[in-house]
Amino acid sequence: MSSAFARWWSSIAFRQALIFGALVVVTMTVLLVIFYVQTVGVWQRRIDSQIDTTTQRLVNYHEKRGSAALATHINSLLGDGIDSDTEVYTLVGSDGHVVAGNLAVTGDITSPTHGISEHRVVRAGRASTSRLRVTRLDDGSTLIVGRDMQDQHELQQLIRGAILSGAIVTLLMAVVGALLFRRQLERRIGTIREIAVHIERGDLAQRVPISAQQDEFARLSRDINAMLDRIHALMEGVRHVSNTIAHNIRTPLSRVLARLYTAQNAANPAQALPEAVGAVIAEIQDLNVVFDKLLRIAEVEAGARRQTFGAVSLNAVAVNALELYDAVAEAKGLTLTHTLDVQPVVTGDGDLLANAVANLIDNAVKYTPSGGTIHVDTRCEGASVTLSVRDNGRGIPAEERTRVGARFYRLDRTLPGWGLGLASVLAIARLHGGNLQLEDAGPGLIARLVLPAPGA
Amino acid sequence: MRRCLLIEDDVDNADYVARGLRELGWAVSVCHDVLDAVGRAVDQAWDVIVLDRMLPNEVDGLSILRTVRSIGRRTPVVVLSALAATDERVRGLKAGCDDYLTKPFAFSELAARIEAVLRRSQPDEAVREMHVADMKVDLIARSVERAGRPIALQPREFRLLAYLLLHQGRVVTRTMLLEAVWDYRFDPQTNVIDVHISRLRSKIDKDAPVPLIHTVRGVGYTLSPAGPTRERAG
Repeated sequence: MSSAFARWWSSIAFRQALIFGALVVVTMTVLLVIFYVQTVGVWQRRIDSQIDTTTQRLVNYHEKRGSAALATHINSLLGDGIDSDTEVYTLVGSDGHVVAGNLAVTGDITSPTHGISEHRVVRAGRASTSRLRVTRLDDGSTLIVGRDMQDQHELQQLIRGAILSGAIVTLLMAVVGALLFRRQLERRIGTIREIAVHIERGDLAQRVPISAQQDEFARLSRDINAMLDRIHALMEGVRHVSNTIAHNIRTPLSRVLARLYTAQNAANPAQALPEAVGAVIAEIQDLNVVFDKLLRIAEVEAGARRQTFGAVSLNAVAVNALELYDAVAEAKGLTLTHTLDVQPVVTGDGDLLANAVANLIDNAVKYTPSGGTIHVDTRCEGASVTLSVRDNGRGIPAEERTRVGARFYRLDRTLPGWGLGLASVLAIARLHGGNLQLEDAGPGLIARLVLPAPGA
Repeated sequence: MRRCLLIEDDVDNADYVARGLRELGWAVSVCHDVLDAVGRAVDQAWDVIVLDRMLPNEVDGLSILRTVRSIGRRTPVVVLSALAATDERVRGLKAGCDDYLTKPFAFSELAARIEAVLRRSQPDEAVREMHVADMKVDLIARSVERAGRPIALQPREFRLLAYLLLHQGRVVTRTMLLEAVWDYRFDPQTNVIDVHISRLRSKIDKDAPVPLIHTVRGVGYTLSPAGPTRERAG
């Protein structure tokens, strides 16, 4: 039993409902007690004032007409059939004998009292409780006026019983309500928990069913589903990335193995080996570069480098990159030009921005045929600072542009590269709270690195 | 003979590096154990310490480096590490290493960097003018003459030449040039450095009887009047 209760008590729904029920019980009890006390008080005051008035009247009667007349009057009062169940009148002579009345007088009752008090008495041969006022009259006799309280007491008992059973019923209903409430909550939460278990086991496609009621649980379920959608998309992304990474690392690895096996099994290994070794070294160096670039992208995406952000002049970055590529451009017969804005300063990581700009120029150089022009410009416009690289090469077809920036995506697989350049530019732009925009330059491509201006 | 302390727990890798350095005329002491390494790094004098970061029992090689630096030793230290992230590199440099090389690396890269680090620790102060064969370079006026004929170089080309000149007779790698001349800590995809070198070469070695800039295949470049000394590639 106690363990079952402990189990229930551990349920917040049960606890809440029970506490709420207990609160209702207490409130109700307090209200009934106040009602009871007030009602009983009013009755008592009414009875007392009646006793007082009657006593006063009978004392006056006695003063005017004497004891014998009072005794007659009392007898007539008792015999008139009005209130005969409850009225108490007794006149006791100075010698202690009852002269008239319906009370069996025993010793101590006849001592006069101030005010009215309750006594156990024998009235008309029956034991009961009465409120009595005892008055000593001037001739030494004693007048007792009162009212039988037996009915009143029974009524009080009845009300008390009603209050108690009401409280018990309320308490029981609170407990039952708590249990029902708990079951209801458990059922709603249960479905969510069930889905959570499925998700934990790896079935990310599961979603919480949304009930028709537009209540808090429906809203919670919707939020959970939105979160699951996001996690699912991210997981798909990670899966895609790891698949492409595996592909792009396994392919060169199998080439390496093939080269080595071929050399090993060649008719004249001594002759074939040096060439194979050279090729294998080149492959492994390439792999190393790919690995390094992937790690760098991951590092950028992780965002830790934001902590070392400082003011970076995009002009300085652009000039440095242009000076790195001027020789290549010259050798390829390309013209490199630039227009620089006054002070395009951004908050960022100088190394990474240099990397991004070098990548953009690298791409332009790669995809622009001899005789073409590459133009770099920096511009401050309101809340953003833009560095664009425009070429008049082959450009990127509109339908391909959204795929550019995915890891290992390459427009032209005959050109050297790993398909990680724009992916890292995109990652760097996002790290800085900016973006990479690709546009048709007709012919050619405009790649814009749009970054937020400091303080914007 | 120059003395090198190599702290590396991987036996194969240690053998590979030690063999390479011995071929270059170094006396190499290999140390696989952390406690032993600290003792020897502190007690003996070394020309260079090559230190692996990930040592047995989760020991970070940088703690050895910090110990060496804390007692005031300025011995040049080259750190080898598979931890390539920028903050790891920064941590290494903050701990006091002179260069930080990421694994896997080519031995030639390590050798070139050791030479560069040694050079930095013994700077030729106030060198104003340098001569190589019939080339005269004025480092202050930034002018170059070959066989008495002035050669016009762009500022960046001059920095490239000056760096090669400072490491005269030694191999410098493309990565080193990118770092020193362009301050880039990444490798661009296109072979930009090769093109810069060939442009520089066309300016200073054109029509000259003795070429000064030589390609060391698979490694980098060297500037010397005698041609490249045979280097172990890879």
